[in-house]
Amino acid sequence: MKIKCPICKKVTTWEENPFRPFCSERCKIIDLGKWASGEYKIKGKPEDEKEKKDD
Amino acid sequence: MAEKIQNAKEETYGAEDIKMLKGLEAVRKRPAMYIGSTAVEGLHHLAYEVVDNSVDEALAGYCDKIDVTIHTEGSVTVIDNGRGIPTGPHPEDPEGRSAAEIALTELHAGGKFESKAYKVSGGLHGVGVSVVNALSEWLDIEIKQNGQVWEQHFERGTPKGALTVVGKTKSRGTKVTFKPDAEIFEVTEFNYDTLSQRLRELAFLNKGLQVKLTDERSSEEEIFLYSGGIVSFVEHLNKNKTPLHPKPIYVTKEKDGTSVEVALQYNDSYSETLYSFANNINTKEGGTHLVGFKAALTRTANNYATSSGIIKNVKESISGDDIREGLTAVISVKISDPQFEGQTKTKLGNSEVKGIVESLVNDALSTYFEQNPSVARKIIEKAILASRARDAARKARELTRRKGALEDTGLPGKLADCAEKDPALSEIFIVEGDSAGGSAKQGRDRHDQAILPLKGKILNVEKARFDKMLSSDEIRILITALGTGIGKEDFDIAKTRYHKIIIMTDADVDGAHIRTLLLTFFFRQMPEVIEKGYLYIAQPPLFKVKRGRAEQYIQNENKLEDILLDLVVDDIELKADGKPLTGKPLIPFIKKLSKFEKLIAWFSKRGADTDVLKYLLELDLNKSVLKDKAEVSSLIKKLKAKFPELVEKIEEDEEHQAYKIELKRKSLRLAIDDEFLMSPDFRELHSLYSFIKELGKTPYNLKEKDTHKEFRDSRELFEYILTAAKKGVFIQRYKGLGEMNPGQLWETTMDPNKRTLLQVSVEDLVKSDEIFTILMGDQVEPRKAFIEKHALEVRRLDI
Repeated sequence: MKIKCPICKKVTTWEENPFRPFCSERCKIIDLGKWASGEYKIKGKPEDEKEKKDD
Repeated sequence: MAEKIQNAKEETYGAEDIKMLKGLEAVRKRPAMYIGSTAVEGLHHLAYEVVDNSVDEALAGYCDKIDVTIHTEGSVTVIDNGRGIPTGPHPEDPEGRSAAEIALTELHAGGKFESKAYKVSGGLHGVGVSVVNALSEWLDIEIKQNGQVWEQHFERGTPKGALTVVGKTKSRGTKVTFKPDAEIFEVTEFNYDTLSQRLRELAFLNKGLQVKLTDERSSEEEIFLYSGGIVSFVEHLNKNKTPLHPKPIYVTKEKDGTSVEVALQYNDSYSETLYSFANNINTKEGGTHLVGFKAALTRTANNYATSSGIIKNVKESISGDDIREGLTAVISVKISDPQFEGQTKTKLGNSEVKGIVESLVNDALSTYFEQNPSVARKIIEKAILASRARDAARKARELTRRKGALEDTGLPGKLADCAEKDPALSEIFIVEGDSAGGSAKQGRDRHDQAILPLKGKILNVEKARFDKMLSSDEIRILITALGTGIGKEDFDIAKTRYHKIIIMTDADVDGAHIRTLLLTFFFRQMPEVIEKGYLYIAQPPLFKVKRGRAEQYIQNENKLEDILLDLVVDDIELKADGKPLTGKPLIPFIKKLSKFEKLIAWFSKRGADTDVLKYLLELDLNKSVLKDKAEVSSLIKKLKAKFPELVEKIEEDEEHQAYKIELKRKSLRLAIDDEFLMSPDFRELHSLYSFIKELGKTPYNLKEKDTHKEFRDSRELFEYILTAAKKGVFIQRYKGLGEMNPGQLWETTMDPNKRTLLQVSVEDLVKSDEIFTILMGDQVEPRKAFIEKHALEVRRLDI
């Protein structure tokens, strides 16, 4: 299965890839560092829009 | 090089330039002091020493060819086309010996000790060719000079006869043949590859100098000649790598008698390859020239990164290690009085060299960056990536080192663990929020169900926008509770403490966001957990439906509709111009009607002319019509009869051997072609229509007990029926898990006998990882487009 490395966007494979879904140890560790420093946020919607959707 | 050969100056290198020093016995007694060792390295030093003398002639501009030959019996010959070692009697020698003989028999006697003879000289720190002579079983020298050929023979350093003329010649140069003394050396076999590597290096370092190596033992032969000099060297070092920019960057300058040459090229690897040389000596321990180069590189990179705006954050900077990642560079300096330090005397000590190299590289590299912004950007971006990776690795290490609030068991305090110790029989629910965590803790089966409440952090970014994230504390707690560890060194799937890891979040947008974050984390950092099939998503109900005493939990809106319809169909009768329907047979009809209307609404939102579309369905249009011109015309005629304002455009559709019709009515459009008629949306619409048309044409007449109502629009009809069904029914929509009491949560979501769990697969997550990337993105447009697209998909799923 071909996948895109979530960090550098290089195309890599899932199979026989010890760093899947990343292309390298480097990219995997950059990702872990981002989790470790709270860099990953899901952007919320403006409050009014959100309420509209919830109701 | 040939044109640089300076015949005119020949006479200035005479016998008087050789300064006398005495004693070769010491060399034979303690050879390691002079050549490092009597092992294989020391042996090769002998050859290097003789070659270096020839290279000195090349450096001075008198020689452009050196031939090195390894003979079968173990001796080596070095021939150059330089001026030849001075043959005249040395003026300071009381015995009147020739300068050549003194150079070969007196320690530390060599032209290089008088800097006027050689401005720049390499050699093994001046031990001189006399050391080679002393450590050789025999040595022959042949000098071609001023039309004469001179020869002298030595044994273990001692001259056997004087330097004498043996013939006439038109060429010039020095030829030295020596056989290393087996009494001194443990090894007397020269290694071809070792010599080849060093000779190649010398050819790189001395642009235009041809060095030929011949091995008579194996008939191997190589000629090294590089017009590109150290640029060729860098290309050679990078030959099996992918360079970041096509041509090495080359910098050269002479200042105060010091010449500096630097060539560098980046490749896409993470390692650095630096070679530094001073007067052709490989300064393996570095020294002032290397320090100057590194300082300049770091400074220039940071200056450019800031001034060009690649680095926007003032706190961010590029370290030396970062900018040297993937760098291949060769630094070569040539100076008149090199000072070598360090353990192996391969560290340049001249302090003035640092400043010279630094300012030269600073200037040249800044100019290069300004003139080649695209290359500069690539280099800087690579360094920034290196810097982030270093930073990330540090943060990742801290993540698991800092223990935080752990119990005696080493488990996080927030975890309510289960009694079961066998991972295969244990489950963990990852629950969002404290209140839901509380219900889950009370409702669970504590024998084999563990609960870990996690809190998604809400950030108030802008006035009314709230971002969701998982703090590093929550991530650490999660890793600790699972027991797997994290990262290349620590992660071990065999240590997973639960073989069912169940994500249980609220059925609202925030819950979905936390779930996305968790799924992404597992996918990226613990894909093995998913591959093993350990990861699940709980399916809590979205509604509770209560009628009288009967309670029912419902997973989604679709099922809710089913149930409501089930309740109402016995009380109503529906009739169009066909036969009336009531009871159970009515359910699929109403559902399909509702789907049909939703799909029409979806087409309408995309600007399609849905009235025309509905009429086309009524006409039972199929793609064979488009193949025939006459049928197309007849279709248009029918459409225009019904919609007089319609404007049509007919084109040929070569790919399908048919026609394309573009219809326009005010702002509404509809393109009818093979692709459209074969699209899943249209086919679905067509199939729904064939079902609902059974009931006949609108209006629909609805009889509910004693009341009669008429509907033109099936959507209104559907809404009316649902409202009717809701009478006497209490529907509670769960916004969060916390709204359920522990018993309800157990019954609906956690009880292994009743619950539904969704097992997460890798394939699911490959797609959702892209979604995650978009959800997190800074770019507004793709995010907006994505949400719109998926909102539609969600709606389509709900139909």
